[in-house]
Amino acid sequence: MQAKERHQPDFGTGQKKLSTYLIGLGICTFLTLFAFWIVMSRQFSSLEGFVFIYAAACLQFVAQLIFFLRLNTQTEQGRVNVMSLVFTGVVLITVIIGTLWIMSNLNYYMVH
Amino acid sequence: MFMKLLFGNLTLEAIPFHSVIVMGASAFMLLALLAILFVITYYHKWAYIWNEWITTVDHKKIGIMYLLLSLVMLLRGFSDVILMRTQQALAGGSSYGFLPPDHFNQIFTAHGVIMIFFVAMPMMFALLNMVIPLQIGARDVAYPYLNSLSFWLTFVGAMLCNASLIFGSFAQTGWLAYPPLSELYYSPDVGVDYFIWSLQISGVGTLLAGINFIATIFKMRCQGMTLMKMPIFVWASLCAMILVALAFPVLTVTLALLALDRMMGMHFFTDYAGGNIMMYINLIWIWGHPEVYILILPAFGIFSEVVATFSQKRLFGYTTMVWAIAAITFLSFVVWLHHFFTMGAGADVNAFFGIATMIIAIPTGVKVFNWLFTMYKGRIILATPMLWVTAFFTTFAIGGMSGVMLAIPPVDFQMHNSVFLVAHFHNVIIGGVLFGYFAGIIYWFPKAFGFRLDEKSGTWAFIFWVVGFYVAFMPLYVLGLNGFMRRNFYYANEVYHPYLVVAAIGAGFIFIGILLQLYQVFISIINRHSLRDATGDPWNGRTLEWSISSPAPLYNFAVLPSVEELDQFWVDKESRHHKVSSQQVIEPIHMPKNTAAGFIIAMFAGILGFALIWKMLIPGIIGFLGVIITTIARTFTKETDYYIDVETIKRTQLAFQKEAK
Amino acid sequence: MHSQTLDHDGTDVFGFWLYIMTDCILFACLFATYIVLNGGMQHTLMLKDFVALPDILIETFLLLASNFTFCLAILNLYQSKLKKVQFWLMITFLFGAAFIYMELTEFARLATEGFRWDLSAQASSFFTLVGTHGLHVSFGLLWILIMIFQLPLLGISPASKRRLTYLGLFWNFLDIVWIFVFTVVYLMGAL
Repeated sequence: MQAKERHQPDFGTGQKKLSTYLIGLGICTFLTLFAFWIVMSRQFSSLEGFVFIYAAACLQFVAQLIFFLRLNTQTEQGRVNVMSLVFTGVVLITVIIGTLWIMSNLNYYMVH
Repeated sequence: MFMKLLFGNLTLEAIPFHSVIVMGASAFMLLALLAILFVITYYHKWAYIWNEWITTVDHKKIGIMYLLLSLVMLLRGFSDVILMRTQQALAGGSSYGFLPPDHFNQIFTAHGVIMIFFVAMPMMFALLNMVIPLQIGARDVAYPYLNSLSFWLTFVGAMLCNASLIFGSFAQTGWLAYPPLSELYYSPDVGVDYFIWSLQISGVGTLLAGINFIATIFKMRCQGMTLMKMPIFVWASLCAMILVALAFPVLTVTLALLALDRMMGMHFFTDYAGGNIMMYINLIWIWGHPEVYILILPAFGIFSEVVATFSQKRLFGYTTMVWAIAAITFLSFVVWLHHFFTMGAGADVNAFFGIATMIIAIPTGVKVFNWLFTMYKGRIILATPMLWVTAFFTTFAIGGMSGVMLAIPPVDFQMHNSVFLVAHFHNVIIGGVLFGYFAGIIYWFPKAFGFRLDEKSGTWAFIFWVVGFYVAFMPLYVLGLNGFMRRNFYYANEVYHPYLVVAAIGAGFIFIGILLQLYQVFISIINRHSLRDATGDPWNGRTLEWSISSPAPLYNFAVLPSVEELDQFWVDKESRHHKVSSQQVIEPIHMPKNTAAGFIIAMFAGILGFALIWKMLIPGIIGFLGVIITTIARTFTKETDYYIDVETIKRTQLAFQKEAK
Repeated sequence: MHSQTLDHDGTDVFGFWLYIMTDCILFACLFATYIVLNGGMQHTLMLKDFVALPDILIETFLLLASNFTFCLAILNLYQSKLKKVQFWLMITFLFGAAFIYMELTEFARLATEGFRWDLSAQASSFFTLVGTHGLHVSFGLLWILIMIFQLPLLGISPASKRRLTYLGLFWNFLDIVWIFVFTVVYLMGAL
């Protein structure tokens, strides 16, 4: 097992097993159905719906990272990959939140 | 009908026969191009040019090509300066100068675009390409083929910008093309389209290069070189490349949305149907602010290398330098609103971004002090690179201070879009970026070409540049405080006139400085044998690139080095411990083969870009398909590398050792 | 023997991961633009008047299924079953092509009913965000076809593993972006 691993390049992704993919498929299917049900059943207020579907999206995002992309911190490359993702995420969130703050601020001051 | 599919909107009327200046510039450009083609043909050098340069994937050669591109475009960007300064020195009160307003508008737009995208960025990539693999003890960058593609895409972008001289016109919107002026209604001609597509094409090249260098620095350092044992130039470049990777996609999106507005009638930034003009300005500055940090960080890295080498002392405070660079990298993403304080945000938003902008000055200050502490009690050698560093200290400090002034929103309300702002950013870009890159070029020139640059003419060029800079830009601070706004081809109040004359004289001094730099290169080539760097270490350097011959051999290192501490090469020299000995086993070296794919893809991209600008359907389809098919065809290529045999390596090493004695 | 080529497959995949990161930023800008332009005063024609959520649910499952079948292709690759790899890649392609087909017919229907990309900022941002995702998927489909064709030439080798890893990262990433597309555009639009 070890000899085989020494010759495998480190892609930073974990072991590939059918069970992992099936679990991932199951979780993603459930979260997708849940989110669509929230909206299509019209049982929830706008705010509740907003929270639920965004939470479902974020959970599904993490599920896909773990179960399909097999992102992990076991190997050196895995840690670098996660670090790049986190850094990108930080900048991404800064840019999106900054944009929303600025644009709503401009809207308030320039339209009213 | 067929002609319309082939030529789109391009007709003979696109050529600006009415403008003497533009026709003159176009003619000069074409003559220069023809002269180059003639010389290559006359000396039967086409095979050489194709095999050694156009299809090369060697980072050292690609670096030289980037440098040549940046220097050629510097001449065009500087011609814009001469035209603008002359116009403003002549026009005022009763005189209107010699440039009509629409031409003046194109000139200041082209000046900004060329200087940032086709001078500063290529110059930066020239230095990164030449130095980074050598400093980390690697044989090449991570993706040599992509490296070639990046260069040729940048080249094509620059050529598209040049094509606007001959066919049509360039944008008249300023270098960032704010809507609604850049929308189709107010800019119906092809100018903004030239802007969009030359930047999109070169932008792809830049993004790929950013990914390339991040992977190179993370994955290809030699044995023993941990992140905290890398030269500071590598750290600075790594952070600059991370900024490239994160910021350039924003530019790509913003330009694409503008193109969609113009070409498909969409409403992202129109002033009706729900469009939001400020969204463009928001997005473009989310890119724009990190962009200037992309430019300055490698310059900071160069200063660290040069100061340590020419003070003959270890850099002071390595760890704090790294943290300062990391802090600047992160902070550069939270300050972008300071470019549009005056455009409608409330005091809370303005205050946040103003404070963040002032905070970013702190790590920069830490770096300046660390450089000064490095020089303290060092044995300083005032070679030309060090001269540029000393000029940087004062010049950049003044520029930084005017920046901190502008960071205060109420002050910015007075200064925004005046020439005070113009003076500030030229102060930091010229004083920081350009002086740094010049220092780097002179410092690493011997490693690239095998001989040093002439010191005397270098010193004179330096004097004219620095004096010229101050004479050209200090009046602009006074003018700005007195209400003179930017981008004006004419002004009614003659009280501004004397200052603008002084500024024009300053530009003249810089012009002489540039001529002296050209002379410096010329005279150094003539005297290259007496200026020869035989040892590979002309400056008594500290880092790994000085441990090999000048110019570096194709494979860089006969045996990949391994290091144990920072500045390992210096440590070895001081302890007289020779690591590279004949006992080290030389093995065949695995090298990537040359390829024409990068060049060909870029050429097709250029055809596509030109076709998009002029709405030429058939060339557009050819360009698009050409890019896709060449990319796919390349993936079917089986033989992409080869081995250099041991005999060749041994011979090269022996020749170097003989000459070094 | 310290050979950089042995580690180079790892470096290559890392570079592709970095490209995916830049694509994340690209989509983030499109999302930010979409949210900003859909926040203000609305045009008379709005997305929610035209969209059929059940269709979007089907599209979502098509893409999710294709994501899963691609993972099956990868499993077979590491079990050295070349023919099965090609088979699962073909299934992935079919699911993806069905997704694109549904999306294109949806766009065509919206356009003929008046919700065109040049109608309003809301429409422009919708077509651009969803369209950019669709363009990425289309490039992915082309790539899958090329891989199916190229696999017999490459065999089960480090090169084929590396290239399918790139494609896997890309294809997976597109499903992740789609999660946010259907949430932000379609579900939020219908709330």
